[in-house]
Amino acid sequence: MIIQIAWKNIWRNKTRSLIVISSVAVGVFAGVFAMAAINSSVVQRIDAAVNEELSHIQVNSREFRSSSDIQDLIPGFNEADSALKSLPGVKTTTGRIIIRGIASTSAKSSGVEINGIDVEKEKEMFTLNNKVIPGTGSYFGSDTKFNSVLIGEKLAKDLNIIRYILTPEAVARLDSLKIPSRVLSKLETISGERFTSDKKFNSELEKLLTSDETGKYAIHIKEAAWSYREGAKLILTFLDMDNNQTGAGFRVCGIFRTNNDMFEGMSVFVPARELRALTGMKEETWHRIIARLDNDDLTDKITEPARKALPDLEVLNWKEISPDLAMIADFMGQIYAVFMVIILAALAFGIVNTMLMAVLERTKELGMLGAIGMNRKKIFSMIMYESIFMSVVGGFAGMGIAEAVIAATQKNGINLIKYSEGMEAFGYSAHLFPTIDAGFFVSTTILIVLTGILASIYPARKALKLNPVEAIRTE
Amino acid sequence: MKVIEIRDLHKIYKASDIEVHAVNCVNLDFQEAEFAAIVGPSGSGKTTLLNLLGGLDMPTSGQILIDGTDLSMLKSSALIDFRMRNIGFVFQSYNLIPVLTAKENIEFIMSLQKWIKKEREERSFELLKAIGLSDRTNSRPAKLSGGQQQRVAVARALASRPKFVLADEPTANLDSKSASTLLEIMEKLNHEEKITFIFSTHDPRVMKMARRVITLEDGKVVSDDVRE
Ligand SMILES: Nc1ncnc2c1ncn2[C@@H]1O[C@H](COP(=O)(O)OP(=O)(O)OP(=O)(O)O)[C@@H](O)[C@H]1O
Ligand SMILES: [Mg+2]
Repeated sequence: MIIQIAWKNIWRNKTRSLIVISSVAVGVFAGVFAMAAINSSVVQRIDAAVNEELSHIQVNSREFRSSSDIQDLIPGFNEADSALKSLPGVKTTTGRIIIRGIASTSAKSSGVEINGIDVEKEKEMFTLNNKVIPGTGSYFGSDTKFNSVLIGEKLAKDLNIIRYILTPEAVARLDSLKIPSRVLSKLETISGERFTSDKKFNSELEKLLTSDETGKYAIHIKEAAWSYREGAKLILTFLDMDNNQTGAGFRVCGIFRTNNDMFEGMSVFVPARELRALTGMKEETWHRIIARLDNDDLTDKITEPARKALPDLEVLNWKEISPDLAMIADFMGQIYAVFMVIILAALAFGIVNTMLMAVLERTKELGMLGAIGMNRKKIFSMIMYESIFMSVVGGFAGMGIAEAVIAATQKNGINLIKYSEGMEAFGYSAHLFPTIDAGFFVSTTILIVLTGILASIYPARKALKLNPVEAIRTE
Repeated sequence: MKVIEIRDLHKIYKASDIEVHAVNCVNLDFQEAEFAAIVGPSGSGKTTLLNLLGGLDMPTSGQILIDGTDLSMLKSSALIDFRMRNIGFVFQSYNLIPVLTAKENIEFIMSLQKWIKKEREERSFELLKAIGLSDRTNSRPAKLSGGQQQRVAVARALASRPKFVLADEPTANLDSKSASTLLEIMEKLNHEEKITFIFSTHDPRVMKMARRVITLEDGKVVSDDVRE
């Protein structure tokens, strides 16, 4: 009865109620969607960290992380490996050889971390093979007979593993950019020719074009003619087991692209057997064991048992290896909390205002209800129900909209590439795929509705203070 | 049978430094099924007396006994409950809940008293017929004329069979035709249901229809005429 009247009362002033309902809806939507977007970047980052870079758990000798010494192998690898594997929740493990070294091409050189891997296992455990830029190689496919190496896009750029070819497509693109045809015709002579370095291409352009033209168009021409060089050669140098400098030429069998510049610039991967041959490391010796768990949530749960099982080794999970990740996730949570507090405060203000108006407007009616025998509890709950209904209707509407928008943007994502430079340097994708878990959905809605309820207490108490005699006094 | 006993009732309003003796030593009894008008010039204390009788206001001194219950002994929540069970109210305006239909308004107090649906509906059907609004059962107050609204208010006041009904100038906002229709309906229901009606009025024609007329002046009862 009271509930029914409360519901009907909402629709007495449709405009006002709709304003409140839609502001609740917008609040819920904004809160949920912002969180989904933030969540997306954090989830993607963590996914990438776990799936491409770190895995869940890493085990190595106690000295290895600080010394990076090739001699700091895992003692008794096989026992350690099977001890780790036997823990419930551990899905797979693999060994890695990790050596500091220098990668160089004829143009440049750069310090790298060389990972000797078991190619088949890594393919199973990581998704890096899916991140290879099409046309740059086959990720240790059968076509690589020579020593092969997988490198990141950043390193490829640093080492200048690019080439310039003026293909017909490149010319067409330049044409569409309104590059004058006199310039394009001058370039015809080098059409299809391959330039394997910046320097060579630059000097060729300078020869063909006036300095004015190069100044104006070189950037565009290079952008159009640019591509990665397949099967480029680079030299890796490092110390072998006897501390003698060694090295060899490797052919690039793939260039991977991730959102993490640091990882792209530092990590190179080569088959373990090739490294063993070059360093003299014995079979079954590794610097690190990396383990994948059945799912991300097991990370904290399994770290301790793993430590107990491997007391002589250093066992770290991805959160410990990369505390910045955990911190950023925390930080995002704080940003969200501030955001939510602002939304909720605005909401509370709106509801207090509206319901106060509704109460004052109905002074006489509420006085009459009190006089004829509606008790304080019922009057109080009637006003509360009115606010709760508005919050709930608005809350569900907002969730619906958020759900719809998230579903719509999840497929193609929200591309912030324009603003991406800062983000990608730290490994955060600028392409967001909003995701949210059900629990969060529910908790946001509860928060909103709770705010609605709390905000209506004041107007409802105001309604109780009305004195029936005063309220219905006919003037 | 005595329904209401009023003993040495005083109500003094203190507005800043002036004291207004709105009800001044009133002693009255009301019997079952009375149809009584309270009249008197403006400011004579009619509204104040009715509010005291209805437990909406507290007397400065004196007693009001309703069926032996002293109103001043009830705590505020018990008083609200007591009002709901024993007293029907008809005000000059703002009587009805705007979002409910005529029928729902009549059933409102019965619902608060948790009457079962069937009995509620029988009762509201009967009353809608009695007030001549059977065809407006599902109209909301805004769709009814002032006179029709007051008729619904009378039906609402009577619906749960209170001991008596208080009506403060129920016809004040009505034209004379609607006013006399309302009074006729009130009288008919008073007769059929044996429920005491006490109403205040300025209107001489309304006064004429009362079987007892109590005249107030400066808060005192100056005459109390019972006619047959
Ligand atoms: N809340 C109040 N505070 C102070 N004085 C009041 C209050 N209510 C009523 N009075 C005074 O008490 C006296 C009686 O008022 P009351 O409203 O009972 O008169 P009434 O007979 O109903 O008048 P009317 O015919 O104009 O309705 C008046 O002098 C009025 O000014
Ligand atoms: Mg009056």
